[in-house]
Amino acid sequence: MYLCKLEIDMEASVSYFDFVIKHLEQFFSYTAFANFTPGHAIMIAVGLFFIYLAIKKEYEPLLLVPIGFGIVLGNIPFKPGFQIGIYETGSVFNYLYFGVLQGVYPPLIFLGIGAMTDFSALISNPKLMLIGAAAQLGIFGAYAIALLLGFSPSEAGAIGIIGGADGPTAIFLSSKLAPDLLGAIAISAYSYMALVPVIQPPVMKLLTSNKERLIRMKPPRAVSKTEKIMFPIIGLLLTAFIVPSALSLLGMLFFGNLLKESTVTKRLADTAKGPLIDIVTILIGITVGASTQATTFLTLKSVGIFVLGAASFVIATTGGVLFVKFLNLFLKEGNKLNPLIGNAGVSAVPDSARVSQVVGLQYDKTNHLLMHAMGPNVAGVIGSAVAAGILLGFLS
Amino acid sequence: MDKIQLFFKTIAACLLLLLPQYKAVAQSGMDIRINEILVENDSNYMDDFGQRNAWIELFNTAYNKVNIGGMYLTNDHSNPTKYPIPKGDPITVIPARNYLVFFADNHPTRGILHLNFDLRGSKYLALYDVNGSTLIDEIAIPEIGKDTSYGRQTDGGLPWVILEKTTPKSNNYTGDPPNPGQEFITYDPFGFGMAMIAMSVVFLSLMLLYLLFKNTRRLYALDLKHVFARKQPIASEEDNLDLTGEVNAAIALSLHLYRNELHDNEATVLTIKKVARTYSPWSSKIYGLRQYHK
Repeated sequence: MYLCKLEIDMEASVSYFDFVIKHLEQFFSYTAFANFTPGHAIMIAVGLFFIYLAIKKEYEPLLLVPIGFGIVLGNIPFKPGFQIGIYETGSVFNYLYFGVLQGVYPPLIFLGIGAMTDFSALISNPKLMLIGAAAQLGIFGAYAIALLLGFSPSEAGAIGIIGGADGPTAIFLSSKLAPDLLGAIAISAYSYMALVPVIQPPVMKLLTSNKERLIRMKPPRAVSKTEKIMFPIIGLLLTAFIVPSALSLLGMLFFGNLLKESTVTKRLADTAKGPLIDIVTILIGITVGASTQATTFLTLKSVGIFVLGAASFVIATTGGVLFVKFLNLFLKEGNKLNPLIGNAGVSAVPDSARVSQVVGLQYDKTNHLLMHAMGPNVAGVIGSAVAAGILLGFLS
Repeated sequence: MDKIQLFFKTIAACLLLLLPQYKAVAQSGMDIRINEILVENDSNYMDDFGQRNAWIELFNTAYNKVNIGGMYLTNDHSNPTKYPIPKGDPITVIPARNYLVFFADNHPTRGILHLNFDLRGSKYLALYDVNGSTLIDEIAIPEIGKDTSYGRQTDGGLPWVILEKTTPKSNNYTGDPPNPGQEFITYDPFGFGMAMIAMSVVFLSLMLLYLLFKNTRRLYALDLKHVFARKQPIASEEDNLDLTGEVNAAIALSLHLYRNELHDNEATVLTIKKVARTYSPWSSKIYGLRQYHK
């Protein structure tokens, strides 16, 4: 009787022990340790590096902190099936990622950019707009190289837009043309935007003579309020009629600017350039970062995209600088443009304009190019949106 | 003035060029098209009752869903409202770029997709809008063989042809659809064409903005009264001065200093003249103080 009871107790304790072990094993299979791969480690390191660059070096911290943290977040390994990952239907991150996939966030960011941007420099010296057009050469240069490397035309178009140096536009276009490459393209675009102060100066110095770097530009004239109000309206009508496929970007950009310049919608403009753009930047940054899961991100294509991204920035800078030199052939003495503002034709606002200012000051401590460079810089925003519209129209 | 008129003409010409040369597409019931029909169904598409009858495929060419409830299908010129498509049924909502198949079996009791006429001997088929008088689409039915469908070569497009395959609820065009990207890779493998076209368009867009804003100051300086009076205003040199921000700041500073120099609203004036102060008990301090008894 006693032995029988003992056996039953032992059996019960053994089955209970098995039960605990089984569930501990099950629990372990759910943890990140059980699903960890070297790829995850690499991507987490990349994310931490982005955070380091943002905090320590202050390279585009508003973008790189959310993206860097998103990369870490997206590369925590997990067992699929629990609606955790960004690619799992129904997960929280998947809902937030919807705004990226459907191109909702970029136009909202453009609204904020429009509400922040002062187009006075462009209005006072409209020929600077053409520099913004010339710098888009980077997009189509990268497109051509991508085709040579074997990317499909849609993929090449999405990769080429990195040369526009415009993160929201790059996300918008790649979400339409090559959603699979979205993460790599977005990371590449934002990384190189952050590295504009490193990439552009050598190209600018290489392509200009000392005499050209010392050119002093005519101070911009004062711009009336009416001109500032008319700019977004006329700008929208002219550009969107030519490229309606870029309507969501151009429309929101010019609408945001009208909110600012009309001066009667200050509250709306303040919201667009403040809380709204902040919220969208947080969402776009964290989700784009999280979309770079090692399993989908660490491919040869991603490496190719990074190489092409760098090339596109160099081509864009070259296009802008050489175009200013070309324009100078037709301009009278006194009206000539300093080629150091050519780099600002890419739309990394205001970083590339700041690069013009910094490089200009290296050669003449009293030659301030910032305001002049803001002209092509904001023209670059318009130019890259138009270019995105063309690629979308041709390749989608 | 001639320059201004020339400028306006140029802008007008540009806008005319930019106007689309095709009809704008509305997103409504007018976007529904009769897309494909099959008259003699011997071994083709079956309905839910396992019957084979003539069928009519409608296609929504719009990029949004369209509710066709309340519209009319007919095979009779003189009776445009022969079969009213019932309202309020979710089946009648056709999703964007999608299809709905009706069975022309003269058995309307079998459901809303079964018409009260058949196509045997019919030479005509039409779809009318909810008012029963606005024609949306119509076709003349030719002689078609057994189990062969007559339809648009591409969904919603033209021409009408005898289709190689019957395609109820699917694309009429069964070949490889044209891929714009593939066309580019075929004709422009190195991307030069794309670069040329796209850069030209980017330049054109910004060039138009440049031309417009280059001349905006002239527009603002325009005196419309003089324009309509057809008088020749003589633009003075001062009107065309290209004043920079620095010049404006200098002018503003000069005006500010000038106004300060005027001394027209001085709070106090330093003078050697004796100030006459007439005595008044109302302003005497002694009367404002409380007098204590000693």
